[in-house]
Amino acid sequence: MSTDKVETTFFRRTSRWKIILILLIFALFVIVVVSLNVGYAQISFTDILAILGKQVPFLNNYVDSSLVRVASENIVLQIRLPRILAGVLVGAALAAAGVVYQGVFKNPMADSYVLGVSAGAAVGASFSILFSVSSFVFGLRLVQVAAFLGALFSMFLVYNIARVGSRVPVTTLLLCGIAVNFFLFAVVGLLEVVAGDELHAIVFWLVGGFSNVLWRDIWAVMPFIIIGTVIAYFYARDLNLLAMGEETAHHLGVNVERAKLVLLVLASLITGAAVSISGLIGFVGLMIPHVTRLVMGPDHRILFPTSAIIGAIFLVICDDIARVVATPFASTMELPVGIITMLFGAPFFILLFKKKKQSYAA
Amino acid sequence: MQHERLVANLVLLDLDGVECRYGSVKVLENVSLSLKGGDFVGILGPNGSGKTTLLKSISRTLKPHKGTVLLNEADIYSLKSVDVAKQLAVVPQDTSIGFNFAALDIVLMGRNPHMKRFQLENEKDMAVARKVMNLTNIWHLAERPINELSGGEKQRVIIARALAQEPKILLLDEPLTHLDIVNQLEIMDLVKDLCVKEKLIILAVFHDFNLAARYCNASIMLKNGKIFSAGSLTEVLTSENLKSVFNVDAIVTKHLVTNSVFVVPLSPQKSSPPKKCSIHLICGAGTGTALMKILLDEGYNVTAGVLNVLDTDFETAEFLKIPVTTEAPFSPITEKSHSSNLAMISEASTVVLTSVPFGYGNLQNLEAAIAALKRGIPTFVIEEVPIERRDFTGGKAKALLAELKSEGAEFVKDQNELLSLLNVSVDKLKIAKEERDRLLDHLKPEEVHKETKIRNKDEKNEEEKI
Repeated sequence: MSTDKVETTFFRRTSRWKIILILLIFALFVIVVVSLNVGYAQISFTDILAILGKQVPFLNNYVDSSLVRVASENIVLQIRLPRILAGVLVGAALAAAGVVYQGVFKNPMADSYVLGVSAGAAVGASFSILFSVSSFVFGLRLVQVAAFLGALFSMFLVYNIARVGSRVPVTTLLLCGIAVNFFLFAVVGLLEVVAGDELHAIVFWLVGGFSNVLWRDIWAVMPFIIIGTVIAYFYARDLNLLAMGEETAHHLGVNVERAKLVLLVLASLITGAAVSISGLIGFVGLMIPHVTRLVMGPDHRILFPTSAIIGAIFLVICDDIARVVATPFASTMELPVGIITMLFGAPFFILLFKKKKQSYAA
Repeated sequence: MQHERLVANLVLLDLDGVECRYGSVKVLENVSLSLKGGDFVGILGPNGSGKTTLLKSISRTLKPHKGTVLLNEADIYSLKSVDVAKQLAVVPQDTSIGFNFAALDIVLMGRNPHMKRFQLENEKDMAVARKVMNLTNIWHLAERPINELSGGEKQRVIIARALAQEPKILLLDEPLTHLDIVNQLEIMDLVKDLCVKEKLIILAVFHDFNLAARYCNASIMLKNGKIFSAGSLTEVLTSENLKSVFNVDAIVTKHLVTNSVFVVPLSPQKSSPPKKCSIHLICGAGTGTALMKILLDEGYNVTAGVLNVLDTDFETAEFLKIPVTTEAPFSPITEKSHSSNLAMISEASTVVLTSVPFGYGNLQNLEAAIAALKRGIPTFVIEEVPIERRDFTGGKAKALLAELKSEGAEFVKDQNELLSLLNVSVDKLKIAKEERDRLLDHLKPEEVHKETKIRNKDEKNEEEKI
């Protein structure tokens, strides 16, 4: 009797995963549409839907967009939409990478900072801002390319320093990562000191934001983030097993060293791609996985995708707030979204944690 | 031979000249084994002898510098992790689990090698998990988070996970550490059952010789990374091997109930300086066993007699290499052995008579004691059990005991009193007393507790003054 109950509960749980994912994707879509309404220029929902509908093949035959002003269309399609999509991509990327880092390191404090990935991106970005702020490489801003390469470079540096023979134990990885992280942020500090006029740009990049994201930037990072996230999701069950300890995962048939390498490279890749368009955005990579784990439980097969979607929703909302909060004071001023994520995210997390810490104490 | 093993469709595990190192330190040297399904092998050895390393070299955690590990005649290090995990499961020594998974989730992780990358657990996986969780008695804990379980429950979850892999080889590294005695036996019975019925190879590290002896059908004993002894339990578990590998004196017998080898390790005791006088024990039926060891440790020369061969006291004396006047098994004492006993007594400076039961067969031992007294050798009589209850001669033994008393034998109520009278083992008595006080201390209510503490303190102060 009770045995059947346990089994049905279990299978009901796994079938519920699909429903949760569909609901979350729907929620993300709604948030994106609502966010298009947010901003200094007042554009009504009917206009927004008309503008969007016009872009969709077949649907555009039924949309009467003659009443929509061209300026509104430009604001929605060229300014707001890329910015919101950047929020979706970056939020999903940072949260997904956070899940991977925490899973591989079996450490709740792990995020993109531990492997020096964020620090590497910061050094790359700071250098490029300092020396030639408006240069372009491959049609992309130099800052982006430099941040992306800096992230990957520091990840490989840490990985190779931490290597012991053919193995890369997580403890040495963590220690090397922290050391490299400190070193690289010292370099950033040095650059800030000598920056002079460019200091403002560097600081703004370090806090993160989407104020000048263009479609070009979205197309550049989207492949990295989508492909990286999808491949990382292949390893969701391996992440579950890695949580049992590397040796046990090995006994249960996981090729531990390969799984670790693939996962860390992918997480660093998508983090690098994300921060290259947004700058450093704190909190999302560290806290979204925790918030999701509190609600969904520790199974990475559901934790990974839900974290990514919740990260996306969270960052889009934070960006909306960033745009709105300063509007009453000055139409052109806005807060960096990195400040909003921490300012609003941290109290929310503490509230949730206070409610659920009993089950979380491990 | 190899061919036969393959035809029988049993899993095979062969180690050939395996050598493992940590850095430049050799921890395993030239280990060769050949096992097939149905073998239950206990790995014995002191700490640091390479037991865990041996398991690690088999589970592909530590690649040997030399030698090969073959699983079904294929090099285990050339196989894919997933394929090895379908055949071989490990129950590790310590288990820490990162996130708070439910017990059922953890057991289902054992199904990993049997699942495709995007497959979710299906009915079959669930059926296997339920089976192994019922076997290990944890199905009722299925939905409980792992970190809320007790050490023993956790251990059973880990064992269930290993069984969920449906392995052909099971490596157990001290699997019983966190389990109480009932759970230990349950788990070992379960593992033994799998070994016999499903023809698994079981390789388990044991610290308890007697559990190993009871369940294993073979054993290897490691010393400094080398196989010191291997074979059946009777071949491996000998007092000589235990002495040279573990440096412990042990009595090895067959257990009466389980009929497996039974080891009684004796605590390693520095013997006191020899006292150069000898004590003759008149005992039997196990009443002298404990005394022999204590008196020897105190440095006395101990002799005993007359004892029937195969008597417990006789076997102890043999083990402790005490000279004994013997009589054939289950036979009454003959005149010949009686007189040689008397000769032995005349060498002794003291005679001790234990609370041995008397029948017509050993009545002469009482007469020997009287003879000793008459020759002026001090004689102690331990009267733990009243003579009425151990006199099977219709009062003759009682009469002889009364005669002993009138001749001036010293009657004591137990072994401790005897030892204090002999003025030996003063230290040991003190330890025993402190031990007892400590235990009582623990049990006493709070106020009394304080008093004893103060008293103990006073005693200590006095000692210090002395």
